[in-house]
Amino acid sequence: MSRSMISGPDQSYLRRVFTALVLLLALVGCGPAQVTVKGNFPPPLMEPLPLSIGVWYDDDFTNHEFFDEAKSKTESSWLVKTGEAQVQMWNTLLAGMFDNVVHMKGNPGPGQMNQAVDAVLIPHVDELQYALPAHTNIKVYEIWMRYRFELVTNGGEPIANWTMSAYGKTPTAFLQSDEAAVNLAAVMALRDAGANFATNFTRVPGVHSWLQQKWQPAAQAMP
Amino acid sequence: MAARGAGYAVIRTPLHTPLCALLLVCTIAATSACVTSTVDEMVFNEPLEGIGDSSVVILGRRHASDYETEPDFIECVGDHIAARDKSIRVIGELEFINALYPWFEPRTAPLYPKDIERLLQQEPVALKMAALKTEYMIWIDGATIRGDSAGSMTCAIGPGGGGCFGFGTWSDDADYEATIWDFTDQAEVGHISTSAHGQSYMPAVVIPIPIIAPVQGTACDGIGEQLLEFLSSEY
Repeated sequence: MSRSMISGPDQSYLRRVFTALVLLLALVGCGPAQVTVKGNFPPPLMEPLPLSIGVWYDDDFTNHEFFDEAKSKTESSWLVKTGEAQVQMWNTLLAGMFDNVVHMKGNPGPGQMNQAVDAVLIPHVDELQYALPAHTNIKVYEIWMRYRFELVTNGGEPIANWTMSAYGKTPTAFLQSDEAAVNLAAVMALRDAGANFATNFTRVPGVHSWLQQKWQPAAQAMP
Repeated sequence: MAARGAGYAVIRTPLHTPLCALLLVCTIAATSACVTSTVDEMVFNEPLEGIGDSSVVILGRRHASDYETEPDFIECVGDHIAARDKSIRVIGELEFINALYPWFEPRTAPLYPKDIERLLQQEPVALKMAALKTEYMIWIDGATIRGDSAGSMTCAIGPGGGGCFGFGTWSDDADYEATIWDFTDQAEVGHISTSAHGQSYMPAVVIPIPIIAPVQGTACDGIGEQLLEFLSSEY
C-alpha cells in the first residue's frame, strides 16, 4: 500500500509568523504620534506696502517642533513639526504684503554683511499648546501659538518688538485620524497668524511710528 | 420540521423566527427615527427675476469660541441650491475664502453689512469681488449638537465568529440661522432660521443596525429650500 501525503505549512512556522505579526502590531502602537504639518496657504489679497523688507528665520523657527509627553497610560505623546509649514506660510504672506522681500544671509547685527533693506523682520515661535476637548469621540483639536516679532535695522538695532497670538481648530470633527485632525488645526492656526499679522502690522505702535518717520520726513522738512 | 395540512407542505427553517424578530425590530426603529423641523423666514427685496449671471457665496460663521458652523453643512446648502436651479452660480466657501484671504478668516470676517464698505476700500478686494460678480452673501450660523445618549453595546470576537449585542440611542439638535446680505446695496435683505430635532437608534443583534435620524440633512434641506425660493425665479 502506498500513500501520498501533501503536507501543509509547518504549524510551528505559522505560530512564529502569527506571534511576530502580533508583536509588530503592538510595537506600531508605541512611540509618540507624529505630525509634520502640511497645508496650502493662499497669498494675501492686499495692496503691497512700498517697503523692502528683509526676513531672517533662525534655526529654532525653521525646525520648530512641539513635543508633548503623555501624562498617563491612556494618552499618547505628540510630536508636531511645524517648521516647514511655518516657513512656507510666512514666505507666501510676506511676499504679498511688501513690494520686496529679501531673505537675509545672516542674523542682522554689527559686522554682519547683509543685503540692503528698509528693515528686517525676525519671527519667533514663543509657545505652542494644543488641546483635545472633553468629547473624546470627536476628533477636534485646538492649537494656540504665540509669536514674537522683532523688526530691526540692517545693523540689528531694534525698531519694534511685539507678540501676537494665533488660534486654530479642526474644522470638521468626524472621519479623520488624530494626525489629520491635528494637522488641520495647525493649518488653521497658521492661517489665523497670517491674517492677524497682515491686518494689524501697520497698527503695531513701534511699526506705526517707524512708518510715519519713514514716509513723512520730506513733508516735515518743508518750510 | 415539516407540517402538513390541506395538501400543503410548509417547511420552516431554524432561522425563520429570529429573522422575523429582527425585521420587526428594524421596522419599529425605522418608523421611530424621524426628525421634526421648523423653518422661519423673513425676506424682502427678493430678486423676482432671479439673480442673472451674478453669483452667490454661502459662508459659515466661525468666530464663536464654543462652536463653529460645519463646513459640510455649508457645502450641503450650496449643493442643494445648485442642484435645483443650475442657473444660480454658487461659489464654494473655501474657494471664496482663499481668493479673499485674509479678509474672511474667522478673525477678520465682516460681522455687519456696513463692514462691506470698509472692505471694498481695499482696491484689490473690490476688483476681486467685481470679478466674482458676487451679488448675495449668505452667512450661516449654527451647529448640530449631539444631546443625551443612552444604552450600551458589547461586541466580541472569538474563534467561532463575532457579533455585537445591545442597544444605543442618542438625540441630535440642529439650529441654524441664515442671514442674506445684498452685496451691491450693502444691506441685509433676509433672515431664515431652521431648527431640527431627531432621535437615532442603534440596536445590535449580532450586527449593529444604525437607524440614524438625518437631523443635519433635514436642516440643510429646510434652509436650502427657503434660499432657493429667494434666489430663484423658478421657485
